[in-house]
Amino acid sequence: CFLAWMGLEINTMAIIPLMAQQHHPRATEAATKYFLTQATAAAMILFASTTNAWITGDWNIPQTSHPAATSLLTLALALKIGLAPMHFWLPEVLQGLNLTTGLILSTWQKLAPFILIYQIAPNTNPTILTSMGILSTLIGGWGGLNQTQLRKILAYSSIAHLGWMITILHFMPALTLLNLTIYIIMTSTMFLSLKSLSATKINSLAITWPKTPILTVMTMLSLLSLGGLPPLTGFMPKWLILQELTKQNLPILATIMAMSALLSLFFYLR
Amino acid sequence: MTSVHFSFSSAFTLGLMGLAFHRTHLLSALLCLEGMMLSLFIALSLWALQLQTIMFSAAPMLLLAFSACEASAGLALLVATARTHGTDHLQNLNLLQC
Repeated sequence: CFLAWMGLEINTMAIIPLMAQQHHPRATEAATKYFLTQATAAAMILFASTTNAWITGDWNIPQTSHPAATSLLTLALALKIGLAPMHFWLPEVLQGLNLTTGLILSTWQKLAPFILIYQIAPNTNPTILTSMGILSTLIGGWGGLNQTQLRKILAYSSIAHLGWMITILHFMPALTLLNLTIYIIMTSTMFLSLKSLSATKINSLAITWPKTPILTVMTMLSLLSLGGLPPLTGFMPKWLILQELTKQNLPILATIMAMSALLSLFFYLR
Repeated sequence: MTSVHFSFSSAFTLGLMGLAFHRTHLLSALLCLEGMMLSLFIALSLWALQLQTIMFSAAPMLLLAFSACEASAGLALLVATARTHGTDHLQNLNLLQC
C-alpha cells in the first residue's frame, strides 16, 4: 500500500513542473489547483489505508475490508481521476494547460488510480460506485453543453467516460479496463489532432477545412467515435456495458446512461 | 476505536476540513496539507511501535521525506502564483472560469 502511495506522489510531482512550464498565469494557476487536489487525494488514500491497518491489521490495498476505509479510499481515488462529485477541478485545470500536457493529464494520469480502483473493486460499496458513475455521466453531459473552449469540452467528455467505466466496475471489471483502453486511444487521437490543428476553440475548428481536409475528417470521425455511434469503435464498450447492465436486471440504470450519452453526443457534434 | 486512533483521525479530519474550506490564503491550504501529513506520520509511527515489528519502521521516515517534497513543490507553486498573480489570495485565482 505504501508503495502505491509513493508512486502516486511521484506521479503528481513529476507532472507539476510539466504543467507549470509555460510561464503564463493560467498555467501556473492550473498547476496549483491540480497540485492541491491531487495532494489531498493522495493523503486521503494513505489515511484510508492507515485506518484500515489500525482496525483490521491488514496493510494490503486489495484487502481493505473495513467499509468506512473502502468508501474513503473510493472517494479519494475518484478525486484523483476527476469523477463527480469531485470533478470540479478538471475543466479548469485542463483549460489552463497546453494540449500536450492536457493529453498526458487525461490519459496517463488516469492509469495509476484506475489500477488501484480495479484492485479494490471486489470490496467496494456498489451504491457509491454506481451513484458516482451515473452522476459523472450526467454532469459530463450537461456541463459540456455550454462550452466553447475545446479543452473544457474534452474535460467534460473525460468525466462522462470515466462515469461509464466506474459504473461497470462492480459487475465486470474486465469491461472497465477495455473501456479505459479504448478511451485512452480515442482521447489521445483527439488531443493529437487538435494539437496539429492548433485549435483551442470551436470557431477555430470550423476554419480548418481549407488547411487540411483529411485531418478535419479524422477529427470528426474520432469525435463521433467518442460519442459512441455504432459503426465506430467507441460504440463497442458502451454496448457491452449496457448489455452487462441489462443482464444484471438494471434496465433503469442502462436507460439513464444511454440518455446521458446522447447529451454528450450533442455537444460533440457541434 | 481506541483513543490513539481517534486522536489522529480527528487531527487528519480537521486538516482535511481546513484544506477543503480555505477561504482567503493559499498558504493556509498548504499548511493544512502539512498538518494532514504530520498526523499520518504520527499514526504510522505509533502503528509500527504497536506491532513491535521492524518491517514497517522505514515507512514513517519515507512518508516524512515525501511530505517534505510535497511541501516544497507546493511552496514553489505558491511562489510562482505570487509572481504571476500578485498575491496568494484565492479570489485572484479566477482566470480559468468559464
